[in-house]
Amino acid sequence: MSAKQTAIESSNMENNQPLDIRMKTRDLSVFYDDKQALFDVNLDIYKNRVTALIGPSGCGKSTFMRCLNRMNDYVDGCRITGKVRLDGFNIYKDNVDTILLRQKVGMVFQKPNPFPKSIFENVAYGPKIHKLTSSKDELEELVMKSLKRVGLWDEVSDRLSSPGTSLSGGQQQRLCIARAIATEPEVVLMDEPCSALDPIATARIEELIAELEQQYTIVIITHSMQQAERVSDYTAFFHLGKIIESGDTSKIFNDPEHQKTKDYIGGKFG
Amino acid sequence: MIKLFERRTRITVQRIKKKKSPFIYKSYSKKPKHTWLKKRKAAERRFRNAGLISILIAFLFLVSLVCNIVSSGYSAFTGTQIKLPITFQTELVEKGAYRKIVQNALLDLFQDVETRKEKRSLFMLISRNAPYELKSLIKQKPDLIGTKIDLWLPAASATSIFYKQRLLEESKRIGKINGDQAKWVTTLAQSQRTRLKFNMPFFKNGDSREAEQAGILASTIGSFFTILVCVLLAFPLGVATAIYLEEFAPRNWVTSIIEININNLAAVPSIIFGLLGLSIYLNFFGMPRSSSLVGGLVLALLILPVIVISTRNALHSVPQSIRDAAAALGATPTQVVFHHTLIYALPGVMTGVILGIARAFGETAPLLMIGMVAFIADAPQTITDPATTLPIQVFLWTNNPELGFVEKTAAAIMVLLGFMILINLCAVYVRKRFEIKW
Repeated sequence: MSAKQTAIESSNMENNQPLDIRMKTRDLSVFYDDKQALFDVNLDIYKNRVTALIGPSGCGKSTFMRCLNRMNDYVDGCRITGKVRLDGFNIYKDNVDTILLRQKVGMVFQKPNPFPKSIFENVAYGPKIHKLTSSKDELEELVMKSLKRVGLWDEVSDRLSSPGTSLSGGQQQRLCIARAIATEPEVVLMDEPCSALDPIATARIEELIAELEQQYTIVIITHSMQQAERVSDYTAFFHLGKIIESGDTSKIFNDPEHQKTKDYIGGKFG
Repeated sequence: MIKLFERRTRITVQRIKKKKSPFIYKSYSKKPKHTWLKKRKAAERRFRNAGLISILIAFLFLVSLVCNIVSSGYSAFTGTQIKLPITFQTELVEKGAYRKIVQNALLDLFQDVETRKEKRSLFMLISRNAPYELKSLIKQKPDLIGTKIDLWLPAASATSIFYKQRLLEESKRIGKINGDQAKWVTTLAQSQRTRLKFNMPFFKNGDSREAEQAGILASTIGSFFTILVCVLLAFPLGVATAIYLEEFAPRNWVTSIIEININNLAAVPSIIFGLLGLSIYLNFFGMPRSSSLVGGLVLALLILPVIVISTRNALHSVPQSIRDAAAALGATPTQVVFHHTLIYALPGVMTGVILGIARAFGETAPLLMIGMVAFIADAPQTITDPATTLPIQVFLWTNNPELGFVEKTAAAIMVLLGFMILINLCAVYVRKRFEIKW
């Protein structure tokens, strides 16, 4: 098993010499009670690149994503086999601290879910519980930096104490992204971040993703083919819990190998 | 068939001609009758009217209840006083014969009273507490000895009731007062020697055998101590139980049995909890009988399920996405609960606790079982002192047939209801003030 794995790893290293692999999964299977949701998923996620996960509803994209920061731990009856490596370390080892893991792997959800606290508190919460800052000034600076990164600073700088839930949908989602990057993660997981937003707010988030790509590794789930094409460098197509095809986005969209991928991208099912 | 078709065409043409909306009922020909539409609307109307009528009936019951209580109880907030020309004769004061002083003053006013029987009924006009008031007055101002002054002294309960009723309505409802006494009171009233004053003793005394002296202070303090013990125990226990069951406990048959039992506990007759308190706290642990400590412990058992259920509901209504968001930031499950879920659920939790308190406040039956039904004249100092609570005071007074106690009972009920309204207003305020809009 380990021999096989090293073989795969080394082959990957050879093929993608200039690119670092930040996360990779090997033979990842997920069971909800007796029902298997993911079947031996192998996927590499490259550093400072955007990886898009596409596929019809219920195909296991979200389950896969929640494996990457162990959010499935809280789901009753969920069982995981296989390996997920972050910078070479298996995050499903017993002695892995999920708290530190989630600081490194941030997550943005489908529906904007700011805490019903002030905007400042929303962003400052992560750094506070991880004790990332030593003084109040530092914390304020970090909050400002995070809000500036998502382009929200100019809009909310004068009302940092008003509740996060009072913002518009797009602003709320950007606030959630700011909250996720305030803990200085390495990987940001985004579970359909634009599905609840209008086209203008969506465009804003997409711009943001392109900016964030410089510093973070991003995994994004999307139902919009156009969005996947626009924002991502790599794409993985999921179907019924399996990865049908993965690779360069341009290749998947222009010259897919599998018939199913072709059908899905062409809108024949899903 | 053709006829029908013709008619339909005619109707359509009419409709187009009139340009009336097809959605307005009866806007076009009455035939064919839309009986189904009529039926539907009638059902709608029937249901709405039924609801209206039931609200009206419920409201009438409520109004008649409140009116009844207020009309029989409001007079208890005033007490009758009689002005007597008191002479503090030195030898009587020295002997401590204050009763004699009062009696002399009465005889001064009604000099034609001679027989023993008449004298006795005359003396009964004034409260038996009056001599003690004179005694304390002399203690404060010793220089009054040997002087003669006019003093307002409390009237006896029967006198008071007669006087109040005569003032209220000129009917001849005399109650427990004889003809002579009625005559004397009328004379006193005519000579401006009677007055109604705010009934302070009702608020600063404990229970008493004399209706005019009986008050609610001791029982209110007893209630307060009991509720204090009850909340201090039930609040942390109930909230912690709810948090564990809702946020941490695995979903299996053990937890579901616990859950079912908690829900059933809320429906157990309250007197059963009293029996439990009697056998465990009193007989097994040997705690002091009729103390507010035991009362609080029993009531805590009673409101625990209420608090657990309402807290669980409040926690349950916090969206899962908030828990996910906090967990994804790296908060531990405990941090998720105490930084987020519980904070956002707090308005609901507080509402549940306050309503639990309201229930405990009005509870009588379980306290009867642990001996809190006691004659308490002095306010309890600690939670282990014998005490009684406000609803039990009401219960005790209703056993007393004297007219003075009837109005006291109604007044105590009014105070009890007042507390209830206050508690419920608190709950409404807390809910509105701290409500979180998602």
